[in-house]
Amino acid sequence: MLTPTVWDASLFHASPQLAVSGEFVLRLIIDGLMIGIIYALMAIGLTLIFSVLNIVSFAHGEFYMLGGYIVYFFLQTFEALPPLLSIVAAAIVTFAVGFLFERIFLQPMARGEVERPNEYAILVTFGLAFFLQFLMLGLVGPFPKKAHRLFDLPQIEGTFFRTTKATLFLGDITISAGRLFAALIALLALAGLLWFMYRTWTGRALQAVSQDRNAAAVVGINPLNMNTLAFSMGAMLAGLAGAVLVTVYSWVPWVGVPASSKSFVIIVLGGMGSIPGSLLGGLIIGVVESLGTGLFPDPARAQAYRDVFGLVIFALVLLLRPTGLFGRKL
Amino acid sequence: MKLEVKRIVKNFGGLQALKGVSFTIDSPQLVGLIGPNGAGKTTLTNIITGMLAPTSGEIWLNGERIDGMRPYAIARRGLGRTFQVTRAFRRLTVMENMLVPALARNPRADRHAMEQKAREILAFLTLDHLTNEYARSLSGGQQKLLELGRLLMLDPQIIILDEPFAGVHPRLQRTIYDYIRRVREAGKAIILISHDMESIFTLSERLMVLNFGELIADGPPDEVRRMPEVIDAYLGRDEEEETEHA
Repeated sequence: MLTPTVWDASLFHASPQLAVSGEFVLRLIIDGLMIGIIYALMAIGLTLIFSVLNIVSFAHGEFYMLGGYIVYFFLQTFEALPPLLSIVAAAIVTFAVGFLFERIFLQPMARGEVERPNEYAILVTFGLAFFLQFLMLGLVGPFPKKAHRLFDLPQIEGTFFRTTKATLFLGDITISAGRLFAALIALLALAGLLWFMYRTWTGRALQAVSQDRNAAAVVGINPLNMNTLAFSMGAMLAGLAGAVLVTVYSWVPWVGVPASSKSFVIIVLGGMGSIPGSLLGGLIIGVVESLGTGLFPDPARAQAYRDVFGLVIFALVLLLRPTGLFGRKL
Repeated sequence: MKLEVKRIVKNFGGLQALKGVSFTIDSPQLVGLIGPNGAGKTTLTNIITGMLAPTSGEIWLNGERIDGMRPYAIARRGLGRTFQVTRAFRRLTVMENMLVPALARNPRADRHAMEQKAREILAFLTLDHLTNEYARSLSGGQQKLLELGRLLMLDPQIIILDEPFAGVHPRLQRTIYDYIRRVREAGKAIILISHDMESIFTLSERLMVLNFGELIADGPPDEVRRMPEVIDAYLGRDEEEETEHA
């Protein structure tokens, strides 16, 4: 039985007493954008892997799960160290696991040493997903864990906003510190990724491989190294998404399964292999789910339909534009 | 420079695409490679550049055996190629297309020197006004020019050009023609694959003919064009000549 996770719970729960007003809608939009950034972070990791390696990683959700557990245990074990280091640790470990997995299990496929590469990629990434899930089940057990908040907010009393240690108040809108930091760290990670992809020559080489593998190879770019880099970075982005959300939600070994499904929806919506598409897709799904849930006439059922709102948009986009919003590579 | 192709055989299932092809290029020269469709020209190019593994045979570049090496490793050893169908990086700018091969491999390389070199090549290829445009916004012919320019950034010793004139506007064909001459004058060896006989016979110093996977001729173009087996296999006879024979 799956435990409720961020992927099926709202960051803010719409209060039935709150009338539908401009402020309420704004609150829902902010809610949607904040969760959308984290959706996007994870989906961009998946799209990077698909775009460069031309495979779908079914272990993506497990890197998300792993990132969360690393932060949880880091905070438990190294209480004296700055908590931000736990996020760095999660990024390093998920990058390293992705690196090793790609080198050991996916390189033979890229080198043409595997007879049926498409089936192999599906099986081997599914295998990794099960391995990581059951490894964590064995190590930490099935009971939910939740990390404490990384930081306290400084206490400020302003005209339009005020803060307590745990909450930011913007008029009638309240945002918890944990969620605020989750979104800010995700935003920073996204900015770093976009800078790397579009401003560094290694990032441009990744784009080149994604656009034409053979053409990149004959001008001296090693596509095998680019495969490793893309998979490791993809794993790290999923790990970062988990790392920022473990302070907000309860964590179990199968927490990555719904997260992974959501990422698949986002990359198809945005256009397979498109980073801008995944970014926009994540934000759209986040906002649509938030608005749908908050404005649904029956609040008692709204939460149960949360995924449906995003899927309706997804179905409409596929009907009108089957390649997704940005149906192209990187 | 020395490229040695020794007894290359390539089988695709029951089909033998190359049947023991051998040749050597050991000096700067322009070698034309012609043959009817399906003769094995592109297969041979793919094998030399590491995109396909030969069934048997050996390829040596400057005394080093390169068959079995990956394409990027062969490119780094100074053997470059273009493709029959244009393969510019469409979602990178023209300048990024030029710089990414060198700077991705060595981010510490002198970027300004690289940019200067790229600008000179682009100016020669009449693409200098398009430096910041995305490659996808260029015409097919311009993309072909860009691919040729990108190749020069790596300073290869031997270049294989696969159908550089195909589908290109006559004005741009002239630019490609001049480009080939200039690259040859710079001391490179070029293997030119083309169905454009006028260009082949004007530019080539040596001509090789492939037919059904066999190298049926290799020599000076004027001699090769008179060989009966080449005429039968590819060039054909004039109607008048045929009438006379009849």
